[in-house]
Amino acid sequence: MTWDLLLLPLLACLVLTGIHAYLGLHVLARGVIFVDLALAQVAALGMTAALLAGHAPESNAAYAWALGFTVLGALLFALTRENTTRTPKDRPAPRNDVTRDREDRPATRNDVSRDREDRPGESGARNRWGGLGGAAGAPQLHQEAIIGIVYAVAAAVTVLVLDRVAQGGEQIKQLLVGSLLGVTRDDVVRLAGLYALVGALHWLCRRPLLSLSLGDDVRGARAWDFVFYLTFGLVVTSSVRIAGVLLVFSYLIVPAVIGTWLADTIARRLAIGWTVGVVASVAGLGASFVWDLPAGATVVAVFGALLALVAFARALARLVTRMRRDGRRALAGVGVGIGVVIALAGLALAALPHADHLWLDALERGIPRIQLAFLSDRERRVDAEARAAIAHGTGELAKLRALAADVRWGHRDLPAEERERLRQFLAGRDELVAGDRLVLATLRARARERQRFVLGLPLAVAGAVVALASLRGVRH
Amino acid sequence: MLTPLLVAATVIVAATTTDLRDLVAAVGGDRVSVESLTEPRADPHAREIHPRQLARLRAAQVLVRIGLDHESWLPRALRAARATPRDLDASRGIALLDTETARLSADRRPHVHAFGNTHYWLDPENARPITALIVDALAAVDSAGRGVFVANRERFLRDLDARLARWRRALRPYAGTRVVVAHDTWPYFARRFDLTIVATVEEQPGVPPSPRHLGALIAQMKTSGVRAILAEPGAPTAVLARVAAETGARVITLVPSVGADPEATDYLALFDVNVRRLADALAR
Repeated sequence: MTWDLLLLPLLACLVLTGIHAYLGLHVLARGVIFVDLALAQVAALGMTAALLAGHAPESNAAYAWALGFTVLGALLFALTRENTTRTPKDRPAPRNDVTRDREDRPATRNDVSRDREDRPGESGARNRWGGLGGAAGAPQLHQEAIIGIVYAVAAAVTVLVLDRVAQGGEQIKQLLVGSLLGVTRDDVVRLAGLYALVGALHWLCRRPLLSLSLGDDVRGARAWDFVFYLTFGLVVTSSVRIAGVLLVFSYLIVPAVIGTWLADTIARRLAIGWTVGVVASVAGLGASFVWDLPAGATVVAVFGALLALVAFARALARLVTRMRRDGRRALAGVGVGIGVVIALAGLALAALPHADHLWLDALERGIPRIQLAFLSDRERRVDAEARAAIAHGTGELAKLRALAADVRWGHRDLPAEERERLRQFLAGRDELVAGDRLVLATLRARARERQRFVLGLPLAVAGAVVALASLRGVRH
Repeated sequence: MLTPLLVAATVIVAATTTDLRDLVAAVGGDRVSVESLTEPRADPHAREIHPRQLARLRAAQVLVRIGLDHESWLPRALRAARATPRDLDASRGIALLDTETARLSADRRPHVHAFGNTHYWLDPENARPITALIVDALAAVDSAGRGVFVANRERFLRDLDARLARWRRALRPYAGTRVVVAHDTWPYFARRFDLTIVATVEEQPGVPPSPRHLGALIAQMKTSGVRAILAEPGAPTAVLARVAAETGARVITLVPSVGADPEATDYLALFDVNVRRLADALAR
């Protein structure tokens, strides 16, 4: 019945996947991970400036202001990239610089000889040692530094300006938070059209744009840089309006990272990125429906889970390869890790029995006997009674709440005094159930007191034994 | 402020909101100088302290606040200003709503206000107990002014009563109307004007509703024929627009505080605006 509510958000997510997985590859290659946050914030600042100029937040004028600021931001990033990471190449004799640097700092030799000269990291490192004298020797910076500064200053100035405008502060905030469930058909159509145009432009200019992002020499690099940041800013500011910065960041970076892990060519990385984006969109929206969670945040969490899953699978694959080569010795490191974790968990239980031991809570939920074994017969009876009372109470609460909702919605009529009685009864029942939960918590605390040494110390010892045995495996 | 003597007798008051500021001004008249520590547009839950607020707090002889957990920033500000003004918690005289989710909540529903709903100034009747407390607090600092304060309060309440009768008349045709609210801001207002709040779109401000919550809400609104969604300027516009489009309901933006809308120039004007907007929207 409510699945159709998710249709438009899903379409929006698929549209986002299409362009962002691709742009993410650029962003990752350029090493400008947070540029989307900075450009979104710059657009928000433009919107705020529009409010100050007297325009309504939803007006075309405000959108034009936001766009104008985005263009300025794009220009700024294009120029600073030139100034921060390109200057060494423009200089007449960059080789000398490098060789001098090699003599100074043998540690960086590998980096320098292996990589291209225009890597931001290197030029930064090189010029930190290059002295401060003259334009040619000016200290070089990572572009991430500029991006971070632009983000912070734009955000701060937005706050300052919002302090001065009477209307619309909330809309600006919503601009950055987005609202996936609030997306309309017009939004999706407009985004799809815009991104199709941007995608077509990038397809037509794929050679210079890709080469530039991968760090190769390109004629007119500054202009192409501007084209990249301009289209990128356009995409990000439009996406953030409906999806919010967190979701846009995830669509940009996570598919690109997984693609880069699993494949070598741009085409394959893109195919993997698109797959990841589609899977995360469908799974995230589905999970948000099934488990009754906010949609946008769930999709972001699913992206995180997917990334962790792939990372785990990669680690497992590497482990299997090592096992084929080294036999069981390959497992020694894992054994040490598991042993240490078990030992620490046991020690923590022994030292702080009343702290939160989530692993033990989870175990006891699955196997109640772990806790019941540490309770007396009488306590076990109380435990069973409290559980029964909670089950009964929550069932009754659910029924009464449904009745109260029916009355509120007008499906059923109840005189005012009956309504008040229902309200008071609900409040009382609520407290009773909460009281029974407290009883359970008290019993658990008692069990913990007894589990403390009986369970905690053996675990600590067992963990230590596992860790030490594995450690010998490492040494051999 | 004709002579230095009168200037010296002025009581300096800091109110935490513009609504309380107006009530203090109504009672204190010329004998007090009162300012609000917050802008009505700002988010009451996360706020950075301004230097001007600290200066105001330090100078204040009386501090009037909403109380409960409405001003989480205030203890920090008081410590920073090293100020110890006479403290008036205006919630002391109020019969609070939504207190039943307090201490122990058996079901883990989100609820913002741990001690009861804090938006009690939105029931104009509550101005009565609040101004009574204000009279006492001001008179404790300026005992010579008590007579003036009492007279000012009576004049204010007469005005309030006259308008209240008008407001109730304007909204009487819509008594019992079922409304959905964007946030948990309107229970006091709804009770006074006999509206029934059936559901909240965003139970936790800033946390978007889940698809299931939204779906159930839309289905219920359709079957029950709920036609009005009460929102405030900070409400999530896109989601509300979606709900409105699906159900044919109308989003009515009310003003939660003095100054949050240019029309709401003082405490009584606040209700003038809200009642007019509500009556206009429900009449259509």
